[in-house]
Amino acid sequence: MTAVRVKDRDGSEQTLDAAETTPLMETLRDDGYGIEGTCGGAMSCGTCHVYVSEAWAAKLPPPSEDEKAMLEAISDFAEVRPTSRLSCQILPDIIYDGLEVEIAPQA
Amino acid sequence: MGDNINLKILLESQGLERCPFPIPTGWYFVDYSDTLKPTEMRNITLFGQEWVLFRTESGKPGMSDPYCPHLGAHMGHGGKVCGEHLRCPFHHWEYDTSGWCKNIPYGKVTPPIVKKQAILRTLPMVEKYGMMWAWYHPLCAEPTFELPYIPEIEDATGYTGSRRGSWTADTCIQEIAENGVDVAHLKFLHGAPGIPPVSATYEGPIMKLDIGQGYIVGTAYGPGLNVMRFNQHGITATMISYTQPITAEKSTMNMSFRHVDYAEGTPELHASKKVIDHMIGAAEGEESAGFESVDFIVWNNKKYRPNPLLCDGDGPVLQFRKWFKQFYSGADAETLAKI
Repeated sequence: MTAVRVKDRDGSEQTLDAAETTPLMETLRDDGYGIEGTCGGAMSCGTCHVYVSEAWAAKLPPPSEDEKAMLEAISDFAEVRPTSRLSCQILPDIIYDGLEVEIAPQA
Repeated sequence: MGDNINLKILLESQGLERCPFPIPTGWYFVDYSDTLKPTEMRNITLFGQEWVLFRTESGKPGMSDPYCPHLGAHMGHGGKVCGEHLRCPFHHWEYDTSGWCKNIPYGKVTPPIVKKQAILRTLPMVEKYGMMWAWYHPLCAEPTFELPYIPEIEDATGYTGSRRGSWTADTCIQEIAENGVDVAHLKFLHGAPGIPPVSATYEGPIMKLDIGQGYIVGTAYGPGLNVMRFNQHGITATMISYTQPITAEKSTMNMSFRHVDYAEGTPELHASKKVIDHMIGAAEGEESAGFESVDFIVWNNKKYRPNPLLCDGDGPVLQFRKWFKQFYSGADAETLAKI
């Protein structure tokens, strides 16, 4: 398990234990953070948008072209920052223990 | 038998297949244009699968994979042509004839791939000769050649003939087409007086055949269109043949027969009609048989020999096969090895 620090949409913060082999989107969805993850990781819905903390953003593998395209598509409806990611594309490997994310507003 | 018998030739037939070929790439006849009115749609089977054939309000034909890329509804069951689009019955996603999704009536954020490319497989189509034609490529590549101008069927005046026919054979399109270069069978299967000489030339997707020194002059434009001109009794009659691969093992041969618009009662008109009779079946007072009566028994039961035992006097079967192979360029190595 990897500890992930999550800032909720209401500003509260919790630490959750994320399974290393499960995309972070699924853990956030199943733990009731208001993440829908509608498309199941196909990068076609944009409902699992999170902001990764500055410190951690650079440590994650960079987003693919498809992920970037989806982030761009939601930018008309929600604030997209340089550290925006789709949480379906984040695998919380143990090397990311202590990862910090903030749930982005709904598009 | 001696010690050195060639077992390969004796036992090879155990491993033979009837139709080891994929559907070849090319332009194919879909249906006659007048059978599909604007806003109509129907389900058809061609190229080994079902398709939704539709015509938009402005008259553009479309042919799409039936299953909506969204949640898989069959758009040919309950779908609808809306203006220039095919609309899925399930959630009203709409697609144009090129397969681009043009409307998702409730999604706020459009999935990026929808803006990037067509998401529904559709086939490129053209309307020509009063027919709808579709380009088939197994990996959705764009057309690499165009359909030709055929005066007999495209000129407004000068030609006539409403005879046309449709025959279905339980074999693949290559096996049917191979008979065109197999001139020896004309004598023995059809009962022609002799084996006519044949010359064939190949250029890209086009094969030109001359059988009997100008008696039959034919041009194949890929695997789906043949124009054969029969020159006899001082006239030329034309068979336009457009075979459809329904599945890998079933083909529908379609033909239109046209001739010069001679005046009623002239010997030329009589001769033209007689030549056309001869193309299909045995014409009155003739010994030899057209394809209808004799070819099917062979096609429907034979197996394909990739290594045939050909002899002196056979036609250019292997050159034909080499030419035809270009239409399988999308096939995998294992399939190519069998053909």
